[in-house]
Amino acid sequence: MSRNSKSPRRAILALAVIAIAVMTAGASAQSPDPTDAGKAVFKRANCFGCHKWHGNGGGGYGGDALSLRKTELTREQIVETVSCGRPGTGMPFFTRGAYDTVKCHDMNRQDAGNQMPPEANTFLRQADIEAVADYVLAHIKGKGEPNHTECIDFFGNKSRVCDIYKAGGEATNAGQSK
Amino acid sequence: MRKHAKRRPSLQAAMLASAAAVALIVAAPSRADEVTPERLLNAEKEPGNWLHHHKNFSATRFSTLSDINKGNVKNLKVAWTMHLGGVEGGGIWTHGGLEGTPIVENGMMYVTDGWGSVYKIDAHGGKGVLLWKMDPKTDHDWAGAVACCGVDNRGVALWGNLVVSHTLDGRLIATNKDTGQVAWQRQVADPNKGEVITGAPLIVKDMAITGVAGAEYGIRGWIAATDLKTEKEVWRTHTIPGKGEPGSETWKDDKNASASGGGSTWVTGSYDPATNTLIWGVGNPGPDWDNEYRPGDNLYTDSSLALDADTGKIKWHYQHTPNDPYDYDSVAENVLVDVPGPNGTTAKLALEADRNGFAYAIDRTTGKFVWGLPFVKKVTWTKGLDAETGKPIEYDSNKPVQVYNASVTPSRQNKVTDICPGNMGGKNWPPTAYNPQLKLWYIPVIESCNRITVEEATPDKLKAREFWTGGGPSQPVKITGSITAIDVTTGKVAGKHETPFPNLGGILATPDLVFSGEPSGEVTAIDAKSMEKLWEFNTGGGVNAPPMTFSVDGKQYIAILVGLGGAWDKWFIDATPELKRIQPGSMLYVFAL
Repeated sequence: MSRNSKSPRRAILALAVIAIAVMTAGASAQSPDPTDAGKAVFKRANCFGCHKWHGNGGGGYGGDALSLRKTELTREQIVETVSCGRPGTGMPFFTRGAYDTVKCHDMNRQDAGNQMPPEANTFLRQADIEAVADYVLAHIKGKGEPNHTECIDFFGNKSRVCDIYKAGGEATNAGQSK
Repeated sequence: MRKHAKRRPSLQAAMLASAAAVALIVAAPSRADEVTPERLLNAEKEPGNWLHHHKNFSATRFSTLSDINKGNVKNLKVAWTMHLGGVEGGGIWTHGGLEGTPIVENGMMYVTDGWGSVYKIDAHGGKGVLLWKMDPKTDHDWAGAVACCGVDNRGVALWGNLVVSHTLDGRLIATNKDTGQVAWQRQVADPNKGEVITGAPLIVKDMAITGVAGAEYGIRGWIAATDLKTEKEVWRTHTIPGKGEPGSETWKDDKNASASGGGSTWVTGSYDPATNTLIWGVGNPGPDWDNEYRPGDNLYTDSSLALDADTGKIKWHYQHTPNDPYDYDSVAENVLVDVPGPNGTTAKLALEADRNGFAYAIDRTTGKFVWGLPFVKKVTWTKGLDAETGKPIEYDSNKPVQVYNASVTPSRQNKVTDICPGNMGGKNWPPTAYNPQLKLWYIPVIESCNRITVEEATPDKLKAREFWTGGGPSQPVKITGSITAIDVTTGKVAGKHETPFPNLGGILATPDLVFSGEPSGEVTAIDAKSMEKLWEFNTGGGVNAPPMTFSVDGKQYIAILVGLGGAWDKWFIDATPELKRIQPGSMLYVFAL
């Protein structure tokens, strides 16, 4: 029995193992989600800073980010809202030059006046905006209460952020009050 | 276990011995540097050190060091600086900030960044040398998603040979002072319930006292004591009484509102050794703005609480804003001072500058009101305090839901309304300072109004890790600031140094100077009596932390952390549009003559 790790037999075995590993990994990840790019935009552009990872938004200290789960906006309307922001609210515009070189809601900066929405910290290209709209449509709009699977899909499993969604897991505030 | 490991000679230790010879010389004095309860009691006998978060158990933040004084402060210059980390975001936050007070012991400085990394810096020789960094690997998403008001950590405490600190994700961590290795840690708060920790621990005897944040997320607040020898909890006192306990009758609803009633404790308190009493501020009730959800006075929210340090048993309370509909929490530090009273007596006071815009002096032996006055320029929610009780004049103990000045008070009937001070308060967490020689108390002031929009709270809206506020603020009004001095012998305003921006950092007092910083970047020194500005240096960042002073090698220094973060940056920035220019940062500045 050769102790040489470079033996052809070992090499073939190793290759087989790698091949199986790759196939397994591919299988467990299922087919790639076409809206993963949009999810990345949702994170990078800090959509979840106000709308939260689950999209429900909510009141609190920073005014009221609308619920993307309960939204009735169409793809086109989501694209416009992200591009131009929502005048008179804290929803920022994400298109470079909005209200200047690019008209928004048929307004320029002057027309918008004190209704001018804030400028986002990150500008997004048209393709990014469409991707994030597709992500919202596929994973958030129309969904019910957020659950553990959705949470893990968003954060991965390196954080304890999703623990409260585990079935029969941690006490909720409501449970605490019983 | 750890002691055993220390005694056991190991091969590794032997191999390292010669190489570590130089290090051992540096480390050797650390045995003499054991921080004993006696040293913590007598912190004032070590004028060059800053051993407690608030400098001393009385929380005066007054240093007797006077080599830097009003005659020469104009010559103050940067001695050294150090870039820190922790600026990254997490949860709902795009970046961290710095709100900590450095601790200095025998020339060694200990600071934290917003995510709770601890840095030990050797400040000898006119320079700063980073000796170690302990990164607690805080769970950013878990904690950052339920931190209402920023990625913050206000600093460490020292005990024995340990550096004791908190993390946003709810841990108490004991780190070996010499090596920077974590000795042990325990989970004290639970982010799954919306609990996080931002405050520095207070060490009393052999206990670390921990406060909690989360009143915007439906927590039921507490103060907890951990035995640093056994690493176990000694007591935990909830700031909202359980069913049947005294005070539970002040929650008159039928929805079990007290179970998610808030009352957080996220600012480090003070301690009176003479009576073995902790005095700790308690935060707002939840939901913040819908007080009809929780009829009754809602004890012990918006109160100063006195507790027996050994048992956590409540000795007395003083509530400032019963059935609060404004988010006027009373989480601020109580400053313990003794001043001459009538007929040759000594008045033993606890001073608190409340979010509601009034400064209070309470008899800290009995918990009775002594005096109170507005320290902000504009108060609209009440006409003033009752001279006997200190309660707002409009307070009616027979009413389950208080309306105070009903025309401005947020309620289900008055859903959009402007209040002064705004909900960030006349003073927030940034600490006051008290000069015992001048008997002047300096308050870092937010001269503010803001707009509250009420949203009726219903039990189905109460969800773990989600906001539980019953509405929210917006900022249609420009907000400025001041440092306001109060003469504690008279209970009157003695002076006001106005500033273009709110004071978000806090105060340091020395015999003839007052140091502070501006969120626009300036660190300033003002004359303790005239309140005139004598010196300033623009750090180029945003000051969101209090200055402190220490001496090493016989030389006095002023230190301050610079890095705008916290609540202002996200929630209140529209009230100070110029501050939108300030970039996130994470830096330590140290000044000397």
